Amino acid sequence: MALSFQTVIGLEIHVQLATKSKLFCSCSTDYIGARPNSNVCPVCLGMPGSLPVVNGRAVELAAMVGLALGSKVQQATRFHRKNYFYADLSKGYQISQFDLPICAGGLLVFDDDEGKEVRVAITRAHLEEDAGKLVHPSVDGRLAGALHSLVDYNRGGVPLLEIVSEPDITCPPHARRYTEEIRRLVRYLGVSDGDMESGSLRVDANISQKVSDGRWGSRVEIKNMNSLRSLERALEYEVKRQRKVLAEGGEIHQETRHWDDGEGKTRSMRSKEEAHDYRYFPDPDLPPLIVTADRIEALRSLMPELPWQAERRLVDAYGLGADDAKVLAESAAAVAYLDGCVQAGAEAKRAANWVRTEVLRVLNERKISIEAFPLKPESLASILALVDRGKLSTTAAKDVFDVMVRDGSGLDTAMAAAGVVSGRVEGSRLEEIVEKVLAENADAAEAVRSGKDPKDKKIKFLQGLVMRETRGQADVAQVASLIARKLS
Amino acid sequence: MKLYARSAADLARSIRSKEHSVAEVVEAHLSRMERMEPILSAIITPLKEEARARASALDIALSRDENPGPLTGVPFIVKDNFCTRGVRTTCASRMLEGWVPPYDATVVRYLEEAGAVLIGKANMDEFAMGSSTEHSAFFTTGNPWDPRRVPGGSSGGSAAACAAGYAPLAFGSDTGGSIRQPAAFCGVYGFKPTYGMVSRYGVVPFASSLDQIGPFSRTLEDLLLAMEVIARPDERDATCSRALRPDFRKALDVTDLRGKRVGLVKEFEGYDIDGAVIESLRSAREILIDAGASVVDVTLPTVGHGLACYYIIAPAEASSNLARFDGVRYGFSAEADSLIELYHKTRQGGFGPEVKRRLLMGTYVLSSGYYDAYYNKALKVVAILRGEFDRAFSEVDFILAPTTPTLPFRKGENIGDPIRMYMSDLFTLPANMAGLPALSLNGGYSEGLPVGIQLIGPRFGEMEIFSAAAVIEKSLGLPRLAGGVL
Ligand SMILES: [Zn+2]
Repeated sequence: MALSFQTVIGLEIHVQLATKSKLFCSCSTDYIGARPNSNVCPVCLGMPGSLPVVNGRAVELAAMVGLALGSKVQQATRFHRKNYFYADLSKGYQISQFDLPICAGGLLVFDDDEGKEVRVAITRAHLEEDAGKLVHPSVDGRLAGALHSLVDYNRGGVPLLEIVSEPDITCPPHARRYTEEIRRLVRYLGVSDGDMESGSLRVDANISQKVSDGRWGSRVEIKNMNSLRSLERALEYEVKRQRKVLAEGGEIHQETRHWDDGEGKTRSMRSKEEAHDYRYFPDPDLPPLIVTADRIEALRSLMPELPWQAERRLVDAYGLGADDAKVLAESAAAVAYLDGCVQAGAEAKRAANWVRTEVLRVLNERKISIEAFPLKPESLASILALVDRGKLSTTAAKDVFDVMVRDGSGLDTAMAAAGVVSGRVEGSRLEEIVEKVLAENADAAEAVRSGKDPKDKKIKFLQGLVMRETRGQADVAQVASLIARKLS
Repeated sequence: MKLYARSAADLARSIRSKEHSVAEVVEAHLSRMERMEPILSAIITPLKEEARARASALDIALSRDENPGPLTGVPFIVKDNFCTRGVRTTCASRMLEGWVPPYDATVVRYLEEAGAVLIGKANMDEFAMGSSTEHSAFFTTGNPWDPRRVPGGSSGGSAAACAAGYAPLAFGSDTGGSIRQPAAFCGVYGFKPTYGMVSRYGVVPFASSLDQIGPFSRTLEDLLLAMEVIARPDERDATCSRALRPDFRKALDVTDLRGKRVGLVKEFEGYDIDGAVIESLRSAREILIDAGASVVDVTLPTVGHGLACYYIIAPAEASSNLARFDGVRYGFSAEADSLIELYHKTRQGGFGPEVKRRLLMGTYVLSSGYYDAYYNKALKVVAILRGEFDRAFSEVDFILAPTTPTLPFRKGENIGDPIRMYMSDLFTLPANMAGLPALSLNGGYSEGLPVGIQLIGPRFGEMEIFSAAAVIEKSLGLPRLAGGVL
C-alpha cells in the first residue's frame, strides 16, 4: 500500500515593532538609509559598563498584539540573555524573553484561499532585540570573495516581537495565509510596517512529516524566506524533499536549512549537533518586568477594532461585498476614512467603491499613507452628495476629486477649476455646445444628414463629443434629440 | 595639618571659606601621590594636568561667587573600571589597555557635578577578579602599611591611595568584598551599599547582580558625604532604586545605641580567624554594649555554602558580561584571518589567567546539562540565605562580623592557590549575595598592620550601620593616615 503523509508546520514570525527608539536605549530605530553606525550609543554598541533600560512603548505594542490574538498578557515577565558570539551581536549575547514571555497562548482564525476556516493556536509572543547587519564589500555583496566584513549596528537593539505558532499548520498555502493574517494584524494595529522585503517581518518555519506507517520525520527549520511567495515555495520544496526521503526509507534529521530563492532549493546550514548552546540565564541588569493589571486593562480598553472585526462589520453594517471589505480592512486608516465618509452622509457602498479605487489609486501613485491623504472624508462625502443629487456626473466628480487632491482646494474652487458647473447643461447653453460640435465635425454631421450612417455610429460619436463638452452634465436623450433636430 | 592629611569635609569647608584655593588643595595631593607612588604603585593613570585645569576652572568659578557643590575642590580617585569620558579605562587588563570611553560613569558624573576633582585612576585586579590586586595585568600595588604586603583587592589601588593620602575619597566596586577587604587591609572605611542604592551605569561589571559601587574614606563624615553625592536614582540603571535616600550625615550625631540589638553570627565562630581580628571584634562589641546596645546571637545555617555559590554565580554572570570583548568594536584586537580566529586570539591574548579561569567556570556552569546542577542550585541557596538574613534582621538591627579572616598577607603568598585567595572573601560575600549594605571600618592595629571589622545591615538599612559606626569612631578615634613613616 502506498504511503501517505501529513505535513506539520509551525511558524516563528519576527515582527519589528514600530517604536521611535530602540528596545533598551534611546537611539532611533529609523535605520533604513541611515549612515552606517549613526544611530548608536554605548548601550546598543555594548560598550563596557553600559546598561539596558526597557522601552515601555515596545512592551505596550507587544501587549496589543497579545490582546488581539487572545493571548494572556503576563503581568510578571523577565528578560534572559541568549549567549553566542557573532560580529553583528554587540554584547556577545542577545537580550530576549525566555521562560516568561510577555504574551502566552492565543489563537488566530482565518479563511484559507477556498474560504474554509483555519485555526492556528499561538504558543507565545516574546520581546527581543534585533542584531546589527554585516556588510561584505565584495563585488556582488556576498561573503565569498570579500576580503573583510563591515558591521553596521544601526539595527542592533531595534525591538522585535517573535510570535510563535503551535505546529497546527498543515500545508504551505495555510502557512502563507497565516503569515498574511499576522502581517495584516500588525499593520492594522500600527504595531509594525510588516514589510517582508525590508526585513521588518521575518518568518522561520519548522516543518516535518508524519508518515502513515507510524514514522515521524524530524523537524527541520527553514530560514531566509524573504517574501510570502518564497515562504510558500520553500515549504512546497521542503514537503517534496522530506516526503521523497521518507518514501525511499530514509531519515530526516533535525537541522536548520537555508532557502535559496534563486536556486529554488533549501540547503543544510547546520545540524543539531552544531546547534549553539545559548546558555540562557536571567539578565541581571534588568529587574523583572511588571505590567500591572491596571495597565493591561487600560490597553485593552484602548484596543482598536481588529481587522477581522472591521471586515465583518463592513459586510454586515455597510453591505459591502466580501472582496471590498477584505481590501479595505487591510488598513485601519482606510476603514476609518470610509467610516468618516459614511458619518458625513455618504452612501456606504458608493463611498467604499471610491475609497477602494480612487483614494487607494492616489495613495499608490504618491506612495503616501492614508493619514497623509489631502482630502478629508467629509470632502469626499460632499462630492458624492452632489453625485447622488444628480448635480454631478461620475466623470465630473472624478475630475473635481482630482483637482481637490491636486490643489488641496475646496469643492467650489475645484469645480470651477475642473470646468464643471454644478447642475444640468440644457437649453440655449446645450444648443450652443451642439452647434459647436457639429461645426467642428462637419464631415460626420454631413454623413448623418445625408443618411450615410446606417449603424448610427456617427451620430453616437457626435453625441459622445457633446457629452464630453458638457462634462456629462447633459441629459443624453435631450442631446440625441437636439442633434437629430439640427441635422434633419 | 598637611592638606593631604585632611578630610574631604574639612577641605571643602576651607575652600568654601577661601582659606585655601582648589589649586593648592589639588597640588598638595598630587605631590603626595608623586612622592608615594614609587613605593606603592596604586595608580594606573594619574590625571595631573586634567586635575590642574579643573582646579583653576573651579577657582575661577569660586572667585565669581558661583555656588560651589558639596565637594568643590575635593580630590578623588576611582578604580580603573569606572568609565571616564576621554580618559582611558583599562580595568587593569590588556584587553582595554588603550580604550577611551566616550562617556562617564554616573557616579563620576555625580561627583564632578558636586565639584570634586578626579586626580587618578587606581590599580585593581583585572576586571575586578581577585583579592590582592596582584591580578592586575600591569603591576602589583603595595600595602601602604607595609609595601611588601598586598593592599587587598580587587579595589586595592583605591584603598591604598585613600589610606596613603593621595585623596580623601576613593571609589571602588564590590562584588564579593572588593571594597571592604582592601579597606580592612589598608585601614580605611570602605562601604558596599545596599544593592540598588548606587547606580552601576558606566562601571564595567564583573557580576551584575552582585556588584555595587561604594566609597573609601578616612573619616565617617567623608564616607557619608560621599554617599550623599553618589547614592541617587539614575534612570540609566534599571536596578537602581528610585526611592529617596536618607540624610546619611544625620548618623554622625548618634551617641548612644540604647534599644539597638547587635547580631553575632554563630556560624562565623567556627572559622579560622586571626587572633588580632578576634581581639578587635571583642573591643568593638564592648563599645557597642557600652553605648547601650544588646548583643544577640543569630544563625545563618546556609552561610557556609556562600563561597561555593558565589564562585558559581559570579563567574556565570562574568562569562556573559565579558563576552563583548571580541576584538570587533574596541579594545585589544588580534590580527586574524577569520572571525573565529579573531575571537580566539583576541581573548587568548587580552585576558589574564585569573579572568580566563573564571570565564571557563562561568561558561561551564551555564552550559546545558549543568545549568540546573550548578547555576540554578546556587540561586536556590542564595534565596535560602536571603531568607536566613531576613529572619536574623527580624531579631537584630545590624550584624557585627570580621571583614577578613586574616591581616594583610604578603605579595605572592596566595597567588598560586586560588582557593586560599578566595577564602579571604568568606565574611564579605554573604552581603553581596543577599544585597545587603556592609561597612568595613578600622578596628585598631596589630604589629603595625590595620585590622578591619564589618557591620552588616538589612536592605536599605544604611542608617543602622552608620549610627553604630559613629559610636565606634567616637570611641576609637579616626583611623591613622598610612605611609607617614615611608
Ligand atoms: Zn543606542
